[in-house]
Amino acid sequence: MATIAAPRTSPLAESLRNARQAAEHNPILSWFATVDHKRIGVLYGVSAFIFFCIGGCEALLMRAQLAGPNANVLTNDEFNRLFTMHGTTMVFLVVMPLSNAFFNLMVPLMIGSRDVAFPRLNAFSYWTFIAGALFLNASFFTRNIFSGDLGAPDGGWFGYAPLNLRAYTPGHGMDFWMLGIQILGIASLAGGFNFIVTILNMRAPGMTLFRMPVFIWMTLVTSFLIIFAMPVIAVALFELTFDRLFGANFFNPAAGANPLLWQHMFWLFGHPEVYILILPAFGIVSEILPVFARKPLFGYPFVVFSGIAIGFMSWGVWVHHMYTTGLGTVANSAFGISTILIAVPTGVKIFNWMGTLWGGSIRFKAPMMFAIGTVAMFTIGGLSGVLHSMVPSDYQQQDTYFVVAHFHYVLFGGAIFALFAGIYYWFPKFTGKFLNERLGHINFWLMLIGFNLTFFPMHISGLLGMPRRIYTYPSDYGWNLWNLLSSIGAFTIALSVLIFIINFLWSIRKGKPASADPWDGRTLEWTIPSPPPHYNFAEIPIVHSRDDFWHRKYQEDAQGNVVPVLAGAAHAPTLSGGDGHGADHDDHGGHGIHLPSPSFMPLIAALGFPFIATGLIYDYALVPVGVTLLVVGFYGWALEPAAEEEA
Amino acid sequence: MSDLFRTIRRNAPRYVPLLLMLAIFVLLISGCTTDTPQNTFAPEGEVARKQRDLFYLAMWPAIGVMILVLGGIVLMCLRFRERDPNSRPPKQIEGNTRLELTWTIAPAILLLIVGVPMVAMIWDLGRSPDANAYVIDVDAQRYSFSFSYPDIKDPSGQPLFLPAEPHIPTGRQVAFRLHSADVIHSFWIPRLGGKLDVVPNEDNVLWLVADKPDTFHGECAEYCGLDHATMKMIVHADSPEDFQKWVDEQQAQLNATPKPTPVRSATPAATPSPVAASASPAPTPTATPQATGG
Repeated sequence: MATIAAPRTSPLAESLRNARQAAEHNPILSWFATVDHKRIGVLYGVSAFIFFCIGGCEALLMRAQLAGPNANVLTNDEFNRLFTMHGTTMVFLVVMPLSNAFFNLMVPLMIGSRDVAFPRLNAFSYWTFIAGALFLNASFFTRNIFSGDLGAPDGGWFGYAPLNLRAYTPGHGMDFWMLGIQILGIASLAGGFNFIVTILNMRAPGMTLFRMPVFIWMTLVTSFLIIFAMPVIAVALFELTFDRLFGANFFNPAAGANPLLWQHMFWLFGHPEVYILILPAFGIVSEILPVFARKPLFGYPFVVFSGIAIGFMSWGVWVHHMYTTGLGTVANSAFGISTILIAVPTGVKIFNWMGTLWGGSIRFKAPMMFAIGTVAMFTIGGLSGVLHSMVPSDYQQQDTYFVVAHFHYVLFGGAIFALFAGIYYWFPKFTGKFLNERLGHINFWLMLIGFNLTFFPMHISGLLGMPRRIYTYPSDYGWNLWNLLSSIGAFTIALSVLIFIINFLWSIRKGKPASADPWDGRTLEWTIPSPPPHYNFAEIPIVHSRDDFWHRKYQEDAQGNVVPVLAGAAHAPTLSGGDGHGADHDDHGGHGIHLPSPSFMPLIAALGFPFIATGLIYDYALVPVGVTLLVVGFYGWALEPAAEEEA
Repeated sequence: MSDLFRTIRRNAPRYVPLLLMLAIFVLLISGCTTDTPQNTFAPEGEVARKQRDLFYLAMWPAIGVMILVLGGIVLMCLRFRERDPNSRPPKQIEGNTRLELTWTIAPAILLLIVGVPMVAMIWDLGRSPDANAYVIDVDAQRYSFSFSYPDIKDPSGQPLFLPAEPHIPTGRQVAFRLHSADVIHSFWIPRLGGKLDVVPNEDNVLWLVADKPDTFHGECAEYCGLDHATMKMIVHADSPEDFQKWVDEQQAQLNATPKPTPVRSATPAATPSPVAASASPAPTPTATPQATGG
């Protein structure tokens, strides 16, 4: 026990410390108090995947309804609530947190750090996310879900004014929506600031900005987008909250408001948001392609700068969501041109990825299959995006299934495929086991076929004049076949996800064991054992070049051939375990490494948000309860010691 | 030759998505020619035709690029696959600045070239309707469109009001003045032209031209609530003579039996009341315009 620094400890502080220490060793409680970036990453990933399944089931219900004309699987009301929740779930509860899972898992490992800059803020970010996510989904139960009366929001994930006002969406669904997203925004902001500080301040010595892995660059750009974009939607949501709860008139046309204000704010957030969803995927692909092509990323500076360019340009294209609102010829021309131009940096990435494959020695492992799939599918989505940028022809496509096809090629074919690639790629690092390769390939091909079967026909149904967000359609509009194909495809995707789940659960127990460096990797995470020790790096590595680990393993001989570095030769010892077998021979076992101790305070603080939000909707008496939790959480957080001396 | 054949057979699964896509493309092309009610590839008016032509102008190069990129990826996967798992890593190429500058600048120039006709068309279609355009006021309310004809008035000066199925003349611009009584809707008759949103407090004007007499299907394209899916309309385009005949009939009817107070005033946008609209779903006039037939 701490004998020197333990004068006057109050009984409360004493019992809190006992609780923390008990939690540290309890297999379940420790997850609620953890501040370890790896465990928070796992929490983020598992939660996001569960919501992926929920959002997917919502999609399957809608596809069942739309499989044929005049179907009666869902009512109009149910359909509207399901598409609202599907969009909201997939954006805020799946792709963002799944990307966040990878930020958490990978950023410290790839920059050679022992944790993120603010471990407890990181835990707070997760618990706030889960609070917001559960709150949002609780809306289903505000009516009797067992009798089929879904209570979920019904204003669309975009929540356009004035449909989002109480006059038009009278239930509590949209209240849950606006407050839920507000809470999720707080979680995103906490994560965004955390990763910016982590990346800028905690890189291993020698890792200059231009020696960072591309995934770290994309995380950095994404985090900046998050901290600038989330406040915009926060303002819009606060205004909406005042409109809905306190009778303000920000968006009420009857009081003279211009309802387009909402669209401007929503899409000024919404378009950077699109890149928040896709840039992490670009980062993952940029890590995987070089490893399995066994070549460095082609044109690293171009890939990095195009990512930064996309980050800046994403702020100047939001009106392409509003071409048909009648903003006029000048606005439409300007934003048409800017939208066309944002295709340039995106195209640069695709060409550079192809350059990476060229001349490579490609190993078709499951992560590589998904990564190549991402490049191919994103290409299609990018090209249909260029078609959308053509303003006058977009007057025909706006709000049709052509748009649905486009953004699913970008967000499913791009983001989700890349996130699966990331799971297959980094699974061995965190479990010490491989995901089954054969099931991985079946998973990939089924998903690729199901995906194209679902979303390619949507291009056609859209061009045949089928609008989005309709719960039924007549039989003689020529849409039947295309919708049937889409529905068959959707269930094929579901089957592939089922295979993934089986693979995951099986492999986590009986998977083939993986070494520290199973893929012949290039970046720092492969220098430490799999799974990594809780302190990550026994010794903080010193970085000498981009793809540092690769250069410790290989060098060029006089003829320019790539040959392995002989064990013990060259400058291997600078890394702990430069031979790829990690720090296990370095057996101080982490003693003397101070890591932040577990804390319940982030969880307590985050619990305050759903109380406040529920109180705003139902009974103001709950608001002080929530505020108290927040204050207690933050106060305890500030006062408890960041790291405890070991008992 | 047989070697190539073996390669293809061994890699057959990799062609599956490509073949699938080709099959879908064939169907896409066949889709272009069908005569379905809302097919944007089957325009019957100036606006829709120009928009389709612009779409083709962008679509064919896009398909070309797609085939090049996807084909390139497949070929590279075949050519550069690892043949011997114990082989040494290939030459470590870091990049090629000249090549990368080319594929940055060339697409930018190409895209800007495509941008020229686009901007030209924005201004072409964005111009105000002609002075002789036939004006129709469109009232959008959840979940129907209704129509008033300012040129056809009853003796008390109220314009002709149609709860559904308006008639328009062919061969001349028809200017639809769009008014919303509640939320945002979007006015869309695909075979005549692209959509324009009906925004409360913003009276957008959309002009369209119908080439020849026909019946056109349209619907609301902006999600507006519970029954958004059935907010449809049917528009009858008549030759100028038939249209004049129809106008005369309507005028005669109005003169003969002056209706009691019409449901909607001539300037409906003046008093949109969301509170009233929320209490009861949309004041549905006599007939429901749920055009589901073909």
